[in-house]
Parts: sequence; structure tokens; C-alpha cells
Amino acid sequence: MELVIDGRLVEVEDGATVLDACRKLDIDVPTMCFLDGHEHFTSCMVCVVQDLKTGWIIPSCSASAVDGMRIDTCGEKVIEARRAALELLLSDHLGDCEGPCRQACPAKMNIPLMIRQIADGELHDAIVTVKKNIALPAILGWICSAPCEKACRRGQIDDAVVICDLKRFVAEKDLVSESHYRPRCEPDTGKRIAIIGAGPAGLATAYYLRQHGHSCTVFDEQDEPGGALRNKLSEKELPRRVLDAEVARIKELGVEFKMSMCVGSDISVDELKREYDVVVLVVGNMDNQKAARYGVEMTDKGVKANRTNFVTSDSQIFAGGGVLGGGRMAVRSVADGRGIACSVSQMLAGEEIMGLGKQFNSVLGRIKDEEKSEFMKGAKRGDGGGLSGDEVKEKAQRCLHCDCRKSDSCKLREYSDRFKADQNRYKGSERKIFKSIWEHPEVVYEPGKCISCGICVKICAHAGEPLGLSFVGRGFSTRIDVPYNDSLAIGLQKVVEDCVASCPTGALAERD
Amino acid sequence: MQEKVDITEVDGLIRSIGTGAEDLISILQLIQATYNYLPESALRRISEITDITPASVAGVSTFYSQFRHRPAGRHSVKVCIGTACYVKGAEVIFDAFRRHLKIEGENDTDDDALFTIERVPCLGCCMLAPAVMIDEITYGFVEPGKVGDVLCDFLEAQKAEEKAGAAIADGKEVEGEVRLCLCASCMAGGSAVVHGELLRQVEDLGLCVKVKVVGCTGMSYQAPMIEIALEGAPSFRYGLVRLEDVKTILLRHFRPVSMANRVSAAVSRILERLLDDDVGEPVTRYAMDLRHGPDSMYCGRQEHISTEHCGELDPLDIDEYKESGGFLAMKRCLTERSPDEVIKEVADSGLRGRGGAGFSTGIKWATVAEQEEKKRYLICNGDEGDPGAFMDRMILESFPFRVLEGIGISAYAIGATDCYLYIRAEYPLAAYRVEEAIQICERNGILGENVMGTGRSLRLKVVKGAGAFVCGEETALIAAIEGRRGMPRLRPPYPAEKGLWGKPTLVNNVETYALVPWIMRHGAGAFAGHGTAGSKGTKAFALAGKVVRGGLIEVPMGITLREIVEDIGGGVQGGKRLKAVQVGGPSGGCVPAHLADTPVDYDELVSAGAIMGSGGMIVLDDSDCMVDIARYFLAFTQLESCGKCTFCRIGTKRMLEILNNLCEGRGKPGDIARLERLSEMVQEGSLCQLGGTAPNPVQSTIKHFREEYEAHIDGRCPALKCKALIEYRVTDKCIGCTICAQNCPVDAIEMRPYERHEIDSEKCTRCDACRQGCLADAIEVGARG
Repeated sequence: MELVIDGRLVEVEDGATVLDACRKLDIDVPTMCFLDGHEHFTSCMVCVVQDLKTGWIIPSCSASAVDGMRIDTCGEKVIEARRAALELLLSDHLGDCEGPCRQACPAKMNIPLMIRQIADGELHDAIVTVKKNIALPAILGWICSAPCEKACRRGQIDDAVVICDLKRFVAEKDLVSESHYRPRCEPDTGKRIAIIGAGPAGLATAYYLRQHGHSCTVFDEQDEPGGALRNKLSEKELPRRVLDAEVARIKELGVEFKMSMCVGSDISVDELKREYDVVVLVVGNMDNQKAARYGVEMTDKGVKANRTNFVTSDSQIFAGGGVLGGGRMAVRSVADGRGIACSVSQMLAGEEIMGLGKQFNSVLGRIKDEEKSEFMKGAKRGDGGGLSGDEVKEKAQRCLHCDCRKSDSCKLREYSDRFKADQNRYKGSERKIFKSIWEHPEVVYEPGKCISCGICVKICAHAGEPLGLSFVGRGFSTRIDVPYNDSLAIGLQKVVEDCVASCPTGALAERD
Repeated sequence: MQEKVDITEVDGLIRSIGTGAEDLISILQLIQATYNYLPESALRRISEITDITPASVAGVSTFYSQFRHRPAGRHSVKVCIGTACYVKGAEVIFDAFRRHLKIEGENDTDDDALFTIERVPCLGCCMLAPAVMIDEITYGFVEPGKVGDVLCDFLEAQKAEEKAGAAIADGKEVEGEVRLCLCASCMAGGSAVVHGELLRQVEDLGLCVKVKVVGCTGMSYQAPMIEIALEGAPSFRYGLVRLEDVKTILLRHFRPVSMANRVSAAVSRILERLLDDDVGEPVTRYAMDLRHGPDSMYCGRQEHISTEHCGELDPLDIDEYKESGGFLAMKRCLTERSPDEVIKEVADSGLRGRGGAGFSTGIKWATVAEQEEKKRYLICNGDEGDPGAFMDRMILESFPFRVLEGIGISAYAIGATDCYLYIRAEYPLAAYRVEEAIQICERNGILGENVMGTGRSLRLKVVKGAGAFVCGEETALIAAIEGRRGMPRLRPPYPAEKGLWGKPTLVNNVETYALVPWIMRHGAGAFAGHGTAGSKGTKAFALAGKVVRGGLIEVPMGITLREIVEDIGGGVQGGKRLKAVQVGGPSGGCVPAHLADTPVDYDELVSAGAIMGSGGMIVLDDSDCMVDIARYFLAFTQLESCGKCTFCRIGTKRMLEILNNLCEGRGKPGDIARLERLSEMVQEGSLCQLGGTAPNPVQSTIKHFREEYEAHIDGRCPALKCKALIEYRVTDKCIGCTICAQNCPVDAIEMRPYERHEIDSEKCTRCDACRQGCLADAIEVGARG
């Protein structure tokens, strides 16, 4: 039989579904409850398409293809329905994609991962994780106001994990290490970037641009790099040895520093724009007079720039850090540096300048008293002692692992991101209670992340698990559980890996 | 939890049913009937000795609301929250029982494990609203202040069953009460005169009896009504009492020593006539098959087809049924007409399915008949779960042979040899009567292995539902018969193509089958002669709510809602104004008073914002809050959602939360828009019609009563119904009699004899007991604050 999907003709066999037909045309239809090789269940409803004859929204995974059908898979109605399905699922989704600490961190450093690496004694991995987002971790280890710790969920139970100290520990260890971490830089692109300002934002910009293979020259009026880090902080606040060592790490990537150079008098902005492909303006602070010198427009706070991609009124100039105004935290400036580097590279590659972008994040928010014990199940009790040797591990083991174990593979997150879903649109009056089940040696089961798609139930039934998993209850309170309230370890014996891998969310996840 | 379960007994129970997947629900029902709940060890045993997997046992036993996983009390108190009961305060009754039994939090059973209390969607006795069923006894017109009396009465009745005849008081020590109502409508019925006569006779006869004026039972059409309440015995109620009856009634129950000999058996016999027919049993108790009064059945413009000969036939007397023309149509079809001719006749009659959606019956039959697969099944959908509807129950209970005849004709037409009648768990009498009727038919050669001597066979089996409204949806119903969780699947394929066990299956509703014999007997033309262009024949409705005469009615299509309410129902109760008629239950909508001339017609009702539905029709008056009504229906569907698809499972929940917020004073600007948007998504995106129609009550009330929604956002309930938005106050009419303080179950009123009382609004639960009991009409309900 033949049907027309998005204006394209496709032929399928009798018994095929609309989804089969879409796939034949390589149309990417999102699915969550559908699992190849098993009968459809028609639960999640994110695979909906529109039957143009009736105007109805139908689930493609189970709708039979009918000769002469005309289907739309990408119209507004379809997108809206998919988004609504996702938003409803999200309104009942208990969990954070990324931990609250990471969500609070201006640099979006993968703090939970760093903490787990420290807990496992993998300090080299930990510095790689840190430096992926933070160019100056040792410095920030000393001066960061640590919004991450304010957000740390452990703080709701006793005291927050000492994230900043852990980061400093890792970074300083690396600074003095013979075989310290040196990121790989892409081959030279031939592009030249002028960075005005050698403060935290400038240093960070250079650090990441070099990794992208661009050559960087940093201009600063001072005779040594560091900007405000050097001028405004005492030795006690930030020891010079730390500053110098971390600046050296940037220099060793091949960044050129032109110190004691005043842009505007020693060299004009126009000259820079002629000699360099891009100019990055990160001088820390800015007034209207100075702005006129650089030829960028101002707002009443600072330089007028797009906050996500740092593009200014001059398409060749990017600006970030303190020049955007309002007493910025050092970590914010460091974060901006990475964002600017990303935008600059996008521009140089001829791509759309989107900056780092923002990935979808489910947010659980403040936890209830009865949920504290659920979060403590995998964490070390107590305050974890001092900060040397094994005690560092213990400090790290206090982490609650709020971040989702499947934040990189979760389909709900992927599609929520793709369809720009808003978790709060259908927010309920009261959310369910977060639970975490640690009965199985290999698996953590978090029922609050389950979308009741029944894939695991099917896999168990198919494989003949002696006990298996089952739907329990009805309606809104339906949940997946082991029959007769037995332990998950008894329910899941044969097909653990398959269930975990096929679970479309982080409900069933491997322990780490 | 203590479990004393004998495994050999469990094995016996299981084996008595069978070991196939389709036997699971019956097995669970039998285990529960034996142990009062489902002991875990018994559940585990099922998967040990049958082919049924633990996942199925766990999944199915937790899906259907009938099944309990913890022990229950000795007696079950079922508070009906069907629509008619709801609008008459069922929630207040439910709370009152819980308070009286001191059941708190998540518990449903009292500390003595004597009573387990639960809400049930509908007991199908809407005219007695609010109704409560304790074990097999139904109590009607229950008042919040009387729940203790009801429980006492029940326990007394239990004892009394053991020593029958203890009802007549001894006269020496027993102090009894004679109660009657003197409200305006009962006075109109002559209650005042009877009251005077009572006082005179009590004095003359020298009885130790208190004559008490009580709140109205709401049965004013039975006035004057007297209730005899005796200590330690069930009491009696007499309706339409004449002046000359008063003395006799008193003498039947109270014996002054000097006159003892004058009470004769003859007197008692005369009195049988007076024991109110409709009310029947003592006090407010009703025997199960006496719950629906015949009152409304003959009023107004009605035509009886599915309920032909109502009130005349003994349900299980096959000869009587035959004498009235029964089985004639089936005989003729099977011997004189081809299946195609039968299908054509039904198609020509214009009959549309009476289950709600109104699909052409003829087309459905033809679709099954033309399938290549020759093994076909027939299902009779008797899973009437719509709160406020009891047509199917009544038809199954009263006319089981007619339904079976309709099935016999249909089975012949489509070539089915096996038929399942799915009857909901709450209708034990219906299931019993149908099972009996099947056996009688089989003995008479009408059904079974050689149907009417034609050599054809038709095996019928009654399957009892286990409590899931969604099983009214045909694909969910099929899943339930197959022994699975009752979750619908996407159609197509329709059951007519792929149904029970993948075979072509005809699924029709009880009423549809009941109409078939008449059509075949009188011809398509006669049937099509009733009704409108698009809606032929008649439709049965369960008329209830704020109407003088409620009951089961059968009307020709095309009759207007106004005719039904006024001519058949006798107008709105208590002289109030008609506000709306809710048609179609949780899938339907509210037709406002200004559209009361809308005819009963599939399409016309849809344009008025309702649907034909299965036949629930609830009359609402000025005191009904439309936001609350929408919330009521949505709460029902939300609770009954199977939970399979995202839109229905979560969408209805979110809608309900918004409605709860509105009714509880937490409404926010934008809530109406949010409701509208969610309604649209749930309607379009849901997998089956339970979800697809769930927003209808919300959409229709927003459409017609938007200003009430807006008022709730401002924290006002114009109908003064929503508890959180109203307040009870004592006015200066108060005479300081302290009755309100005595009646208040939560001590919100301090006892101050001879002074004006006051109600502590924080403690007050708005149970209405004070207002109902007030002698001086001194309790007023007003907006909060």
C-alpha cells in the first residue's frame, strides 16, 4: 500500500505501522515506549503524527498504515502535541538531569562527576572534568564564592559538600604535578584572535580558543597577566604562586601575551580589527568614554552584548566578563571566557553563533523531609573529616548523586530539549515523593523517573524472568514494581542489562 | 499482617475455576469472596499452580478496584458517590461515617474491624440519594447526623434476623418515637393534620411515645409520612398515611397494657398496604430489587420498548415472557430469515448503539458478518459504570429474557457461537438473574447446544467485572475478559475485525440488545417511526438529581429535556429553579436551562455541549455549583483512568488539581485558560474515549457558566456550595435551643442555652447538620469572610 508522509510517497507492506512507514523515509519520529522487536504499548504519545484526512493526532507506533493515508510529522499541531506529552511527563518527573550544584555553577562544571572521580581516587580524571569548564580552577579554589555549595542538596540535610575545597585540592595537586594535565589543542586553524584584557575572562577565553586551534594574543595595560586577580586581591586572598602557576598553564598552550600595551593609545582598535579575525573585549570594566574608543554600543550597565553568544554591536567584536556590567563573580568571568571561545569558533567556522547553548534540565527543587533518607542511601554520613589524603575521598563520598545517572542517554531529556519543553507548564499542585531503591546489586531504581512505558515489563515477560516486573495499581498512581513486593534483586535476574539499557529515562540505571 | 490461609483450600478454589489466563479475574474474585481480601500467599499460589505469571497476578489484582490486598472489616459500608448522591451531599455522608467510626488517614476500616468504608461510583439507586449500602442492605436519604442510627439499625437488623418478629415493642418499658416531617412540601401533603391526629391519639391511648418533628427525607411525594422508631428494634416507615390510619399504626407498634388485647392480627394485615411500597422495607432500608420506584415510569410522554411491560413481568418467569410475545422474534429470525435479512432489518431501523457513542448497529453487525474468519464472538457490554446511570442494571434485572433474545438474534445474524455477558461487580442481582435466565433458556431449548431446534449452538457465559469504569470501553472490556489489566488499545483494528482472542467480535450494550426483539417483531419501519431524522427509536434514561420524580424512564428520541424534567420528572424539587441538566455523565456535559428545549438526539445534544451517553440524566438547580460539578466528574474519570497513555494519566490529574484549587479557594488568574488548553490536549491526545471525553464536563461548564469559574478565581462560590468558600452562621432568629450544638459532630458550636449560638468557622466542617436540625431556621450559609 502507499501513503504520503510529509508530502513524500512511501510504499509499505500490509500490517506495517505509520512509524514503519516514517522510518522507511528516514523521518526521525521520537519514541519512548516503543521498543523494536516487541509489540507496541501506546503509552508515551511522543510519537504522534497527524492524519491529514481526519485531522486527528495519532500515535504512529501503533497506528496501522492504511492505503492512501496522508500523514504530517512536523507540522505545528504535531509539534505541539509532542511537546504537551513531554511537558505532562515532565510535570510528573522527579529528578534533576544535572545536579543542583552544577545547575547553580555559572561555568556549569560537572561537579558531581568531579566529586565521584575524587571519591574513586581518580584525580587525573577529576582535573580533566574540572578544566573542561573551568580554565582557572586553582585560582577559583581560593576565591570563588561557590554558588554550587549554596545549592548543594546535602546542605539541606546537614552541611553542603565542600565542593570548592575539593576543586582546589584537585587543581593544586595538578599544578605541582610533574605530569600535569595539558589539554590537547586542535591543529592550527590560521585564525588570529586579539583578546583585550588579561583578567580571568581573557585568560579563560585564550585557554579554550587555543584548544580550538586558533592563535591568541592577549593585550593588557598591566605588566603582568591576571587583571583584577592581581590588582585587587591580597596575597592572603590569592597567593601569587597560585596565580602565576595557573597563568603559566595558559601560556604553555602557546598563548602570546602583549603586556603594557594600551589598546587605544599604543594600538588602535581598528588596527586590531585589521590584523586579527576577531577582537575579544574583556577588560573588566567599562565606561562610556572607553566604549567610544572601542566603538561598541553601551547599555546603562555596560557593553551591549548578547548574553548567550557575547556578540556586540560590532560583529567582529565579542565582549564578556566584567565589561557587561554589575560586579561580576570571578567564576562568571571564567565561564564567559569559555562561552566567548565557543561563539568565536562558531563564527569562524561559518556556523550560527549560538554560544554554549542551554540544555534541557529537569529540576526537582527543594526536597521534603521524608525524601532526605532516600538521597542518603548512597552517600557517606557525617562531615567526612579534614582535607588530606583519604579524607578527601570521604568528603567526596558525602555527595548525594543528585544528578541523573542517565543524563546523557535519557530520551525524555533529549526530546524535551529538542521540542523545547517547559517542565513547569503543567506543574502539579503537589509532587510525588522521590524514592530511590537500592535492592539490586547492579541497579538503582528511581520510580519517580518512570514514565510507565512498560518496556521493562515486556522484556522480563519475553525472557521468562521467574518473577519479573509488573505494573502495579491503576491510573495516575500506576507504578512498575516487583510482584508481591519482592526485592528488585529477585525480580530482575536474567535481563538486568537489557532493562537498564532499554529504559528510556533514568528510572532504571546502573549503579556507579 | 496475619495471614491464615490454608494452601490446599486455595488450590481447591483455583482449580474450581480453571488455570488459563482468562480465569485470573474469576480466581481472584473467588479468593476474595472466601477470605474477604487477597492474601499474598494465595496470590503467590496462583502463579505456582497455573500458567498465569506473577506479573499478571500482580498487575491484574491491583488494577481492579474490587480487589483488596489487606483484610477488611466484617461489614462493608459502601457510600454511593454517584452523581445524584453527590449533588445531595454524599461526600458529607462519607465524612460523617468516617468520623463516627473514627477512621482516619489512609485507613478504611475501624479499629474493631467491624466496618470497612469505601466510596462506590454508583449503587444505581439514584432516587434514594444519598444512598449507602451496608453489606446487602441499602439505606436511602441518609443524613449526616444520622449515620450512627444507620449503623445501629444495621447491627440491630443483623440481630433481628436471628430472632425474627422482635419488632413490636412490649409497651411497658420501651419508649418509642413517632417522627414526621412538617416542611412546606410535606405540609402540602397533609402532614400537619396527621401531626395533630398523632398528638391526640397518643394522649387518648395513653402511650409513652414521643411525637417528633424531623427534617424532611426528601420524599415529599410520599407525604404524609410517618416513621416509627423503636429502641432496640428496626423502625418502620409508612407513606401516604390517612387520618384514619394513625390510630392503627400506633397500635401496631405500641401496646398500652389496658388495650393489649385489642391488637389483633387483622389490624396488622391491613397495615401491610400502608407500609410504603416504594420504601418497602423497615426504616430507610430497601430490599435490593425494590430500589427503583415505578413512580416516574408512567408519567409524561414515554414509550416503552426496551422496558416494554415494565412493572408487569416477573423477571424470571419464561412463560410470562413468552405470553407477552417473547422469543417470537428470535424464532422467526432463526427459521424464516437469513442472517443478511436480519442485519438489513436492524440497519433499516436506524438503531444506533446505546452505550454512548451511537455507532450504527447495522453497520457494526455487517462488519463482523463479512469477516473472513468464521470464529466470531459476541459480547454484551453490561459494564455500566457511569455514576448516575442504572438503565442497564434495571434492564438486566427486570428483563433478562429480552436481553438474551436480543443476543440470540444478533448471534444468528453475525454467526457467533460464544457469547460473554460482562456485568459489573456492583450489580450482583443483575448477574444472578441473567445466569438464572440463561439456565432457564437452556433447559427450554432456546439457548445452548441446539438453539430452538435449529442445530445451531450458542453458549453464554456471565463474566463479572471487578471494578473498572474503563472496561466500558470495548477494547478494555475485551482485555478484561481475556484476564488482563483492562487497558484499551488503539483502534483500528476494531473489535469487529480483531476482538476477543484476535477474532471478529460484536460488542453491543445491554440496552441495544434489549431493543432488538421489538424491532424484529414490529419491523424496522415501526422503530424508525419513533424519534428524529438521525436518532431513531427510544432511549432509556436514569432521571435523577433535583427532580420531584426520579427513576428509570424510556422516551422517544426527539423529546426535549424540558419535557423530561417537567412532564416526567414533575419539575425541580423544592420549588427551586432549573439550572442545567447534566446528560451523558463523565463523558457528557451540562445543558443549561436556557437550552432546555434541546431535543434528545445524538447530534443535537452534541451541539448543546453534551452527548447522548449511556443514559445518565441529572437535574441540577440553583444550589449546584457548576465548577464543583465539573470537578466531580473529572475526579471520577481521573480515578478511573487506566493510566496507560500520558494525556489521560497525567493530563486529567493536572486538570483536576486546577479544579480542586478553584473549589478550595486557591484559584489563580489564568486557570481557565490552563483548563481550556489541557482540555484540548487531553481530548485530542488520549488513546481511548475515556480520556477523549473526560474534558467534556469541564468544557461544557466553562462554555455555559464561565462567570462561575471567574467567581471562584476571586474566591467566591455563587451557589454557596464549595466548602472552603462558604461559612455557616447563626442568625438572630436563634432561640438558644442548643440543638445545633448537640448535633455538631466537631464541637464547633458552644452550648449556650437561651442565648444566640455561634459557629467557630475554623472548626466547622460545613457538614450541614446544624442547619438541618435547626428548629428556628436560624442557620445561614454565606460567602466566607
